[in-house]
Amino acid sequence: MKSIVRLARGVMSRNWRRVLLGGLSIAVFIGAWQAYSWYLNANDYGYAAYIPYPGEVAEAFLDSFVTTDATGLLMMDHIFASLKRIFLGFTLAFVIALPAGLLMGSYQTSEGLGMPIVEIFRPIPPLAWIPIFLVVLGHLWGPVAIVFFGIFFPILFNVMLGVKRVDPILIDAAKTLGAGRQHIFFKVVLPFTTPYLMTGIKVGLGIGWMCIVAAEMVGQYGGGVGYYIWAMNEFSLYDYVFAGIAVIAILGILTTGVAGQIERRLYIWMGMK
Amino acid sequence: MDGDEVNIRMENLLKVFKEDTREIVALKGFSLDVVDGELVCLLGPSGCGKTTVLRIAAGLETKSGGHVSVSGEEVSGAGPNRGVVFQEFALFPWRTVRKNIEFGLEIKKMSADEREAISSKYIDLVNLEGFENVHPQKLSGGMKQRVGIARALANDPAVLLMDEPFGALDAQTRNLMQKELLRIWSATKKTVLFVTHSVDEAVFLADRIVVMTARPGMVKKIISVALPRPRERTSADFITIRSEVLQVLEAEFKKTMMREMSDGGVEHKA
Repeated sequence: MKSIVRLARGVMSRNWRRVLLGGLSIAVFIGAWQAYSWYLNANDYGYAAYIPYPGEVAEAFLDSFVTTDATGLLMMDHIFASLKRIFLGFTLAFVIALPAGLLMGSYQTSEGLGMPIVEIFRPIPPLAWIPIFLVVLGHLWGPVAIVFFGIFFPILFNVMLGVKRVDPILIDAAKTLGAGRQHIFFKVVLPFTTPYLMTGIKVGLGIGWMCIVAAEMVGQYGGGVGYYIWAMNEFSLYDYVFAGIAVIAILGILTTGVAGQIERRLYIWMGMK
Repeated sequence: MDGDEVNIRMENLLKVFKEDTREIVALKGFSLDVVDGELVCLLGPSGCGKTTVLRIAAGLETKSGGHVSVSGEEVSGAGPNRGVVFQEFALFPWRTVRKNIEFGLEIKKMSADEREAISSKYIDLVNLEGFENVHPQKLSGGMKQRVGIARALANDPAVLLMDEPFGALDAQTRNLMQKELLRIWSATKKTVLFVTHSVDEAVFLADRIVVMTARPGMVKKIISVALPRPRERTSADFITIRSEVLQVLEAEFKKTMMREMSDGGVEHKA
């Protein structure tokens, strides 16, 4: 009992420390921002530079969720528009990249067939597709395709790498325990590759968010957080621009958090932790 | 008692590796019978093909000629009637101790209850109680190999093939694991083929020691170790047998060294 109390106290004090340091870090950031805004807005530099104060941004942030903007949309509409594109792009990329990576990692023939195409498309930044895809695929599937390209390669390459790193001795061990090809695939190759897949997904989602915001900025139609930021910029509503940026930051953190949770659940389910 | 039945029969094994354009004859005319319940150590200089013999018997390596049968069945490919214990442990890192041991049982499509009963039995046998739900990376080398042995035994194989299983352990752990192996062996009465390069280990463990020649590997001499167990490493009999084995081996070590030197010479010219 005593040890449990001591353990609990240890965890508490560690958490308190983290909360305290985290709070301090954010407070310093907001303080610096406030000071910089004061400084900049107090001096006339002869151009329309205006840095909104943290308070103004917070107000704009809250307002964007309850008041419709010039296009008649609420922030939640923009968020859902962006999430929908990310979700579709991610799902497509995942569904194609996972089997492709498994095949290309397992068989030299598949790798020989797949790599030339991969090598042609990989060096092209996903954002370079924006003009073509928006015209050809429209304002939903265009950005989806751009997100797809952002997420596809990290998943593909990580899965390939994972499959290639499978220790041959583990496959030998499985064989001597009676495993056939299917068993080896599902009980050795797939679990071994899962952490690599999760790395690919996390890297891919990060790139996906960058792609979606840029595609929506250029897209100019159909809503989305990127669109929102661009539109607010056109109206010189800088506090709302910052609110949009804050929304992206929060969504990015949430996405990473959800991916981390899924990863943890997955490992628990697979008996890895 | 069925103690005289041959369990592992290897006849005239040939193994040729192709390395670029060169052909390397690893094994040539290797023959050996291992009797049911026997513990036989394969001993030889490095590169003599002792691991190749074991891998062929396990079905992990193809043979270029000859025959291998286990319990009267010709070996073609790996199978659960031959349990293998690897020097590198080869545990599945994402599986707990228990789940590692149950791997072969899952493939046999046993129910969870049956699996648990069997894995518990072998966890007890190798003294891993309390570590059932631990992952391999948290275990010491000796404990990892206990899992390796339990995992191989859980399938109830006809023979246990051990490829330098204690080679990666420190001397203390190694000695302890040798004693543990003898205890487990006498409890399960399995036929064991044990590859080692340690003379000391072979004399401590084996009913018979098979000394192999340098490449191409074949049987140079078979030495029976008639000492009662537990064996004392410091006893006069132990030391006598140990020096006998060493003498047989030494000639082969010299051949290996000569070959390596001449190989080196060829490389210099090329």
